Amino acid sequence: MVRRSFLAAALFLVVGAFIPAVPTMAAADPSALISNLGSRALEVLGKNATQSQRVERFRQLLREDFDVPGIARFVLGRYWNVATEEQRTEFVRLFEDYVALAYSTRLAEYTGETFKVTGSRPDADGAIVSSQIIRPAGAAPVKVDWRLTGRNGVYKISDVSVDGISMAVTQRSEFAAVIQHNGGQVQSLITMLRDKTVGGGAR
Amino acid sequence: MNVRLLRLVVSDLFIFSALGLSACASHPDTAQQATAYEEDFNDPLEDANRKIFEFNQFVDRNAIVPAAKAYRAALPDPVRDSVRDFLNNLREPLVFVNDTLQGEFESAAKTVGRFVVNSTIGIGGVVDVAGRWGVPHHDEDLGLTLGAWGIPEGPYIVVPVLGPSTPRDLGGQIAEGFGDPWNLLVTGNPWTLYWIPFVRGAVGGIDQRSRYIETLADIERTSLDYYATIRSLYRQRRAALIRRERENLPPPAGFSQRDDGRSPEAAVKTAARPAIVSEVPNLSEVPK
Repeated sequence: MVRRSFLAAALFLVVGAFIPAVPTMAAADPSALISNLGSRALEVLGKNATQSQRVERFRQLLREDFDVPGIARFVLGRYWNVATEEQRTEFVRLFEDYVALAYSTRLAEYTGETFKVTGSRPDADGAIVSSQIIRPAGAAPVKVDWRLTGRNGVYKISDVSVDGISMAVTQRSEFAAVIQHNGGQVQSLITMLRDKTVGGGAR
Repeated sequence: MNVRLLRLVVSDLFIFSALGLSACASHPDTAQQATAYEEDFNDPLEDANRKIFEFNQFVDRNAIVPAAKAYRAALPDPVRDSVRDFLNNLREPLVFVNDTLQGEFESAAKTVGRFVVNSTIGIGGVVDVAGRWGVPHHDEDLGLTLGAWGIPEGPYIVVPVLGPSTPRDLGGQIAEGFGDPWNLLVTGNPWTLYWIPFVRGAVGGIDQRSRYIETLADIERTSLDYYATIRSLYRQRRAALIRRERENLPPPAGFSQRDDGRSPEAAVKTAARPAIVSEVPNLSEVPK
């Protein structure tokens, strides 16, 4: 179950990877933002893209619709507070590289999925938009919840949950484990991220 | 003699308490970190778990994945779907018991219907006729039932070959092994049938694994710490399934993964909170 969900998450994020850098719709309505994201993604899903194009498109998407600095801060958890200003800046940058790389290389081969927004409800600092990925061959649909944070009427995605699994929580848990296994040093995580994302190559 | 013994005990006590005090006094950071560690991962057996995880990965790479690839290559999709449908059908009696234990009587009724239809018209379960009629299979297990009852999952454990688990989930699995009607059927028979549950387990495992070959390889390749990633995924997935079981009950008040979910463990605790507790905040909202 875990695996299928992750597949779906990756799938969706890869769908995102195909989105070209077209102007984003004014992100005033959370549902519209997600629905727009989905349909634009499906539009270009069938097109072939090289690995580097995929990473670049994914990065574009991240910057447009995701609250990358906010997510980066969240996934670093309590270590954000002990990190120096330089470390924070470098971490945010590397985290963006890492996400673009990890999630865009994760499964480019999945196609033929249908995406639809099923609802939206207000949340403490924004909204949660629910959606479904209808999978081919009668497999159970995958529930994807998008957590959006609103600031000055502009919404940005701050977390994606797939069948109840939060990508941000997963990432935070992994990063915390890495730091703890290296004597509580934030620098060790930064070094590992640097190695992993070096040259933008998917390794 | 007695006095000596007493003195020994007292001195030991003293040493222990002194150690305890000094630990508190001079290393508050260490103590705090230890607590935080527990909260985040609830993985006190991590060293052993990681070794078993490594062993499991070795077995996975050298036996399970090759078998899963061969299985996928040898059998066409419809045949593999039939294998899965057949195994799902064998599970329906236990799914029914769990539905009932959770008070999900509608699901229980659907499970009975599925079992009857698929065992007969579906030729012993190899064709999921009920699924085509709009009643898809849903899985349940004792670990989820216990979770829905509010029993905590306990520390994370990695079981040789079987993989990620918790005492609650593993206990549930073992109990189900003993309570499974098909297992009971074959254990009442001569020794010659004892291999059946093992073959069933192995085929089920390989079928399952064959569906995630690329996905897992990719997660492993892109992870910084694959063990930690799988641990988090497992925990969150189980917590989410338990929240689903409890959807009929009032949702935990103010639950937010972002705010409350310090860890998946916290999410489990929140989800497993008795319904009555979650109603209290609502009462306080009533205008005075």
